[in-house]
Amino acid sequence: MKLIELKQVTKTFNDGRKKIEALKQTNFSVEEGEFVAVIGPSGSGKSTFLTIIGGLQTPTEGQVYINEEKFSELEEKKRAKKRFDEIGFILQASNLIPFLTVKDQLRLVNKINRSNFDKNNAKALLDELKINELSDKFPSDLSGGERQRAAIARALYHDPSVILADEPTASLDTDRAFEVVEILGRETKKKKKATIMVTHDERLTDYCDTVYVMKDGVLSKK
Amino acid sequence: MFLAWKEIKYSKTRFALIIGVVVLVSYLVFFLTGLAYGLAQENRTSIDKWEATGIVLADESNLNINMSMFPKELVDEVDASETASLGVTSSVVQLVEDSEDDDDSKVNVTFFGVNEDEFIFPEILEGESLQNDNEVIADISLKEEEGYELNDELSLAGIDTTVTIVGFTDNAKFNVAPVLYTDQSTYQHIRASGFGERDDEIISAVVVQTDSGELEGVDLGTDDLEIFEIDEFISNLPGYNAQVLTFGFMIGFLVLIAAMIVGIFIYVLTLQKTSILGVMKAQGISSGYIGKSVVGQTLLLTLFGVLTGLGLTLITGLLLPNEVPYMNNILFFAGITTLLIVVALMGAFFSVRTVVKIDPIEAIS
Repeated sequence: MKLIELKQVTKTFNDGRKKIEALKQTNFSVEEGEFVAVIGPSGSGKSTFLTIIGGLQTPTEGQVYINEEKFSELEEKKRAKKRFDEIGFILQASNLIPFLTVKDQLRLVNKINRSNFDKNNAKALLDELKINELSDKFPSDLSGGERQRAAIARALYHDPSVILADEPTASLDTDRAFEVVEILGRETKKKKKATIMVTHDERLTDYCDTVYVMKDGVLSKK
Repeated sequence: MFLAWKEIKYSKTRFALIIGVVVLVSYLVFFLTGLAYGLAQENRTSIDKWEATGIVLADESNLNINMSMFPKELVDEVDASETASLGVTSSVVQLVEDSEDDDDSKVNVTFFGVNEDEFIFPEILEGESLQNDNEVIADISLKEEEGYELNDELSLAGIDTTVTIVGFTDNAKFNVAPVLYTDQSTYQHIRASGFGERDDEIISAVVVQTDSGELEGVDLGTDDLEIFEIDEFISNLPGYNAQVLTFGFMIGFLVLIAAMIVGIFIYVLTLQKTSILGVMKAQGISSGYIGKSVVGQTLLLTLFGVLTGLGLTLITGLLLPNEVPYMNNILFFAGITTLLIVVALMGAFFSVRTVVKIDPIEAIS
């Protein structure tokens, strides 16, 4: 099943009188349980690509489907709702909220959903990521690797179908970086997610099923 | 509320400081209100005590009771359900045993000449009523602040007469001075001392009470007199309106400034969090949820701060010496509490606007 699908998507910006094609026409899909890496130098359009999939901006032409539903054409509020339900984000400097403990980061999801905190699910997830003993700690008390593992827990907690990771290893040393990517790969398979990881570090792609290269707005399989 | 409360718990010092500012500012506002209200009341308690509808003064007096004089017989011309003749004169009194050179022991007072069978005669809290000439019923503040007792003899400035305190009453202040109630003949004696001997008995005013609470239908029977609503009379007491307006504006602006301070604090806090809020929005958390949390936080901070300020004010009110004209007024305090909270919430809505405008793409790149 294709959890992410882009059909003839382009994105152009106007920079004064010049038109910049940040993303040239792209057809792209990610299957359930597939771990995809997109590599490329900075400014190549990787981030634009990821933010279009995440619905943070809309494509100039073409459509984005998430979980087989038209996503890019939804109005902004509905897109935000779907983003919250279907997409887990993992960002460069971690997407954790500084004044919430690791456990409360997960609990926030329940508060927004108006659902009850799923204690067992949270514990199982934190155990799996080996951060259960850190569940009452604030992000500032965690190391870089622990923070990213907490961010992965947060992204997986509400069981989205898609995981988008934007340079999740940027602030980590090599060992930690490999560890985080390995966890991402493992969870993608186990929980049947479609995961896209954007990175500039080619060594990390060993755990990925498919590797794409982005260059000057053109996406091609490696 | 989850986010709002967790954040307050996490950044305890920062929020303690903000609440501290709110507490201090609201304390200032409440306390000043208590003082202003107390002072305003000291101008008028003796008048409010009458529960009168109107007051009849000499036509030429321009609402100044000190300049209103007319023969006592004119009282009979005034046709209303209840009338009471009133003589007013200010004076300076001193305990007989104190030396005349001792200026600190002299007290400014107002004499009210009243008839015992009329409705403006005060209720006696302590002691007994007037039996003879040269007896007075004094405002209780003379006991509380000056230490005067029953049967104390007071000498009057500029006249060779002494009066004796036979009773005390409460809430009897006129123009910030305590009132001494005396009978009409003693009053005539005191008043006449300033003008030389007169044949007529002179009074200052006729206080009128009607069943309907309206002045319509009250017949004065002569052009020399004029009738005024009691509220109009009060707001024309010398200095009263100026005082009330000055304090009113001071307090009004204080409330506005205090609430704006809270609003600005919340706004700065929100600006500091822009990137975190952007990340939250990128994750799909709605501006509505974040906005609610900002407003909830403002409500928590101001509610806690303002109520603490109010509590401090009430405690201070209890500890103040009697000389300080401080008085609580539930209505004013409730109004100011509401106003502070509402204006602070308006400040919070500015922050919500910023939240809505945050572009999640900028926040995550």
